[in-house]
Amino acid sequence: MITVELRYYAQLREQAGTGGERVSTDAETPAALYDTLRLRHGFSLPRDALKIAVNTAFCSWETRLRDGDVVVFVPPVNGG
Amino acid sequence: MMRFAVSDRDLDVASLRRELHNPDHGGFCAFEGWVRHTNEGRDVGGLEYEVYAELAQVEGERIMQEARERFGAIDAVGIHRSGMLRIGEMAVWVGVSSAHRDEAFRACRFIIDQIKHRLPVWKKEHYLEGDTAWVACAHHGEDHDHTHHHRHHRAPAGFVPDYSRQKRLPGVGEAGQEKLARARVLVIGAGGLGSPVLAYLAGAGVGLLGISDDDRIDASNLHRQTLFTAADTGRLKAEVAAERIAAVNPSVRTELFGRIAPDEAVALFRRFDLVVECSDDMSSRFLCSDAATMSGTALILASVHQYEGQLQVIDPRAGGPCLRCLWPAEPAPDAAASCAESGVLGPVPGILGTMQANEALKRLLGLPGQAPDRLLLVDLLDNRTDQLRIDAENGCASRGGCVAMAERAMAARGGDSLERRFSTLGAARAAGYRLVDVRQEDERAAWPMPEAVHVPLPVLLESGAALPAEGPLLLVCASGRRSARGAQHMRDSGRADVFTLPGGLQGLSE
Ligand SMILES: [Zn+2]
Repeated sequence: MITVELRYYAQLREQAGTGGERVSTDAETPAALYDTLRLRHGFSLPRDALKIAVNTAFCSWETRLRDGDVVVFVPPVNGG
Repeated sequence: MMRFAVSDRDLDVASLRRELHNPDHGGFCAFEGWVRHTNEGRDVGGLEYEVYAELAQVEGERIMQEARERFGAIDAVGIHRSGMLRIGEMAVWVGVSSAHRDEAFRACRFIIDQIKHRLPVWKKEHYLEGDTAWVACAHHGEDHDHTHHHRHHRAPAGFVPDYSRQKRLPGVGEAGQEKLARARVLVIGAGGLGSPVLAYLAGAGVGLLGISDDDRIDASNLHRQTLFTAADTGRLKAEVAAERIAAVNPSVRTELFGRIAPDEAVALFRRFDLVVECSDDMSSRFLCSDAATMSGTALILASVHQYEGQLQVIDPRAGGPCLRCLWPAEPAPDAAASCAESGVLGPVPGILGTMQANEALKRLLGLPGQAPDRLLLVDLLDNRTDQLRIDAENGCASRGGCVAMAERAMAARGGDSLERRFSTLGAARAAGYRLVDVRQEDERAAWPMPEAVHVPLPVLLESGAALPAEGPLLLVCASGRRSARGAQHMRDSGRADVFTLPGGLQGLSE
């Protein structure tokens, strides 16, 4: 069990109803973590429509998560 | 011979033509522009051309240089009249000679169109009814058929901008102000982001602002698009924006464009020092990223959603990541929500647009700016920002590089030309092209191209597999004719990353 800090942007913020949260999880990768979050918040976007960043750098969905990581989910944004 | 001039005397066509005689040239084409009797329904007795001579000279020479870059080995002369002219007198003359007629026709058309669109020339029409009016010449695009319109707006005399508050800054000063006055910035989208961008760049004294937008002002825009008022609804955003810019700073020139066509984007970007993308259109952002990458022009992107925004600066000359390093393909429309669907608080594009203006000015002044390898996320609910480093190694670099990605995307848009113009082979290689020499063996001895792979045209036509698999490829021959045939053959057989160097080796400046 690790605890990570999550930040949601754009549609994810809308659907989660918050800009971020701290969660304890068994997920070892952002990919596994997103799957559990999708169930909990009903996120409509598939994983490949998003970018994932861990500790201020974009990275692969298979990056190994560690206790205390800051995980940011970034959808593409269109408005002007 | 490449020459541009402004003249206050009658034009002597015979002597202008003589300047273009060249023993290597078999084709000559000229255009003459004459003073007409009517304009927009009114009878004109004559007119008076007022030319901003110093600027016209510089811009005219730039046009001639661009013609040489586009059309290769040509000789060209362009002359524009100033002063009083009567009906039937010649106002402008352009002549081009070249080896073959095709380049002469095309270059002549290009030069006269550019002169009409870009030269700071105004004409005072003397109507037969006795009154007069000043008209910006570029409003009279009667002899061009471009899909977008370009218009110049003219500065009224007598206003002197006062830049003392910004010139006082360390890092600006007189030298910085001159940099801004010489700068050419293209702003794509005159909406929520574009409003502050245009207002601040105009106020700061950026010399030329290009504005691209084909949208009209709607009442639903007014909560965030601060350039416009209720009285403007229904009007074209770009035109109203140009009026507001002229009202803020009449010394700033504006040039208006509609939506930018994919096959024009790269050439258009080359005319500007910097492009600021402010549209609400994902495909425009990707087109801009590709055109910036291919032309080597810096690009400042921003986008907004509800209470947040994103900002990315693309610096292709510094080898920085592009938009495709983050998103290799354009996201599906439903993956990226728009302002119309999701709503947006007015100040959100205002803040992000103001940041774009700030980045643009700092960049033109040589000051520090947003790191090009990071995406900035701005959360304007709790005022938190995240700077996320873009994973460039797993971006375009893992798919052939940003230029190759941009080339492929541009080719897939369809409207893309087969031609890629470079003045030297070194420039083509620097832009990421692999050179392929399609000449015969015996020609190669006379003019070797050691840096190129050799695939003679007959071999290529027999099997495209003879070409290197990794693109983009630039086919080169002596005149550009065989390379064009080879590139067309490859496009027809489904390969999108093979291009031709128009004008061939003979068209190079080395
Ligand atoms: Zn890239």
